[in-house]
Amino acid sequence: MAVALKAGAKLKSAVCDTQLMVVKAPAGEYDIRCGGLEMLAGTATAPEGAQLDPAQAEGTLIGKRYVDAEEKVELLCTKGGKGSVVLNGVAMSIKQAKQLPSSD
Amino acid sequence: MGRGGISFGMSAMPADSLNPAVNIAAAYAQRLLDSLGLNPSRPLSAPDRHPAAAWAASGLMELTGLADGTAQMCPAPVAACADGALAALASLAPAQALDGLDGAQLLAERAAIMDLRRAGAISPGGACRLYQAADGWIALNLARDDDWSLLPAWLEVEHTPSADALPILIAARGSQELVERGRLLGLALSADQAPQAEAPAWCSITAEGGRRPSASGYAPRVVDLSSLWAGPLCSHLLQRLGAEVIKVESADRPDGARRGHPAFFDLLNAGKRCVAIDPRSATGREQLLALIASADIVIEGSRPRGLRQLGIDAEELVRQTPGLTWIAISGHGRGEPQENWVAYGDDAAVAAGLSHLMHQATDQRLICGDAIADPLTGLHAALAAWASYREGGGLLLSLALNQVVAHCLAFDLPGSEAALRERQAQWTALARRSGVRAPQARPITAAAHTLGADTEAVLTTLGRAC
Repeated sequence: MAVALKAGAKLKSAVCDTQLMVVKAPAGEYDIRCGGLEMLAGTATAPEGAQLDPAQAEGTLIGKRYVDAEEKVELLCTKGGKGSVVLNGVAMSIKQAKQLPSSD
Repeated sequence: MGRGGISFGMSAMPADSLNPAVNIAAAYAQRLLDSLGLNPSRPLSAPDRHPAAAWAASGLMELTGLADGTAQMCPAPVAACADGALAALASLAPAQALDGLDGAQLLAERAAIMDLRRAGAISPGGACRLYQAADGWIALNLARDDDWSLLPAWLEVEHTPSADALPILIAARGSQELVERGRLLGLALSADQAPQAEAPAWCSITAEGGRRPSASGYAPRVVDLSSLWAGPLCSHLLQRLGAEVIKVESADRPDGARRGHPAFFDLLNAGKRCVAIDPRSATGREQLLALIASADIVIEGSRPRGLRQLGIDAEELVRQTPGLTWIAISGHGRGEPQENWVAYGDDAAVAAGLSHLMHQATDQRLICGDAIADPLTGLHAALAAWASYREGGGLLLSLALNQVVAHCLAFDLPGSEAALRERQAQWTALARRSGVRAPQARPITAAAHTLGADTEAVLTTLGRAC
């Protein structure tokens, strides 16, 4: 089931600890999966017997930002887990860390 | 110095700034030394000036207040505490090593060099600002340009808001939710809070290892992984005490201060050897571990999870490396969840209660000084580092920006709002008589080394390929 990704929306994995927050995404419908299964929005719960797909278990790291190839969609990992994050059938990659500030 | 998982700074000692016989800076220095369980190796010598005079002379008063209003007093002896921290350090240091330094003046050096001005609820540097949420005030520090890209997710809006729209969007939401969501996103922000009456620890031991068998007596090697102001000021002060400082930076993510004002970077970093590594490569991580293994003192200001992702576990390294002193500088302290929170000097001071105190005293919403938690923490960190090194090391010492400021605020806090306002009036009058000075900086005498200028030379001495 495709979902809209609104900035600030939270998504959680159905099969691992991964939690993501949408930093940005152009309007539209997306198929967003973690560990092989569609991610859950809001208070949705995982389907019974849901299991991590061993082929989709690259893992996520807290604090990292996951982007699509064009960096149009950006999701921040707020809790790490075992699954891989896949958007519309393509694995998302970790965005280069932010530059440090020049002063504060 | 005290060991066994203790925290420094819990002792209660009355300070009485209205009693002219008490030298507040000296009393604060003594408090710091007592909390470390150390006796000075030479008589304590702190400037004997009233805390209000210290504030006025330091340049901090000029930096605090509305842009078109008068310069404001701070009714807590923050400048005198800076004098005290420097005096405590000097009392343990080689004779004359810190001569010519003025602790309070160090807090305003960046503003002097960059010609920063007070701007009310906005920090002199411009990145931090106090905002009114639906149920209270918060400080938000957008120090990185990229932070703006997180604002739609923070506020659940479609587009990045303009600076003008931001206060309106924030005013519609509750402060607690804003702070929680912001911290999840990695924004530097904090709720405006009242200062704690009971001083928190200014420094805590979070891991212990063996001490160095022989007493100190040689120049310690400092490996400084930190950036910006607090950590670099700490290693700069240790350098004044004779330490050899190696500044280690990531080749593709160097200290952001290199892109800031060059004179300020030179002031803090001249004379340090500069090594650049690639922490994402196996070779780089090996080089980093070799540098750490060669160090007497490590200084870092990273989030623990960032270092762990590089395979560096500070607690474990301290336990395994006899004599190592590890100074971990954070915004809000180690431990979950606060070790994940980003903080800078201005927002950390708000978290400690400084802006709340200023509001009680002046009815104005003000950011106090210029990233004041940074240099204040750098001073305290140098004392912690030197004290541990002198006693044989073997300690991981954690200092949090907000707790250092909170410790200073609690040192001599008036007991009631009426007493606070009375002090504000007295101290303001005293400051006007003693003279309100603009921020001052020491002259720049040498340029800092460029990124990685000493990589080959340093790594070769460690027997590591570059």
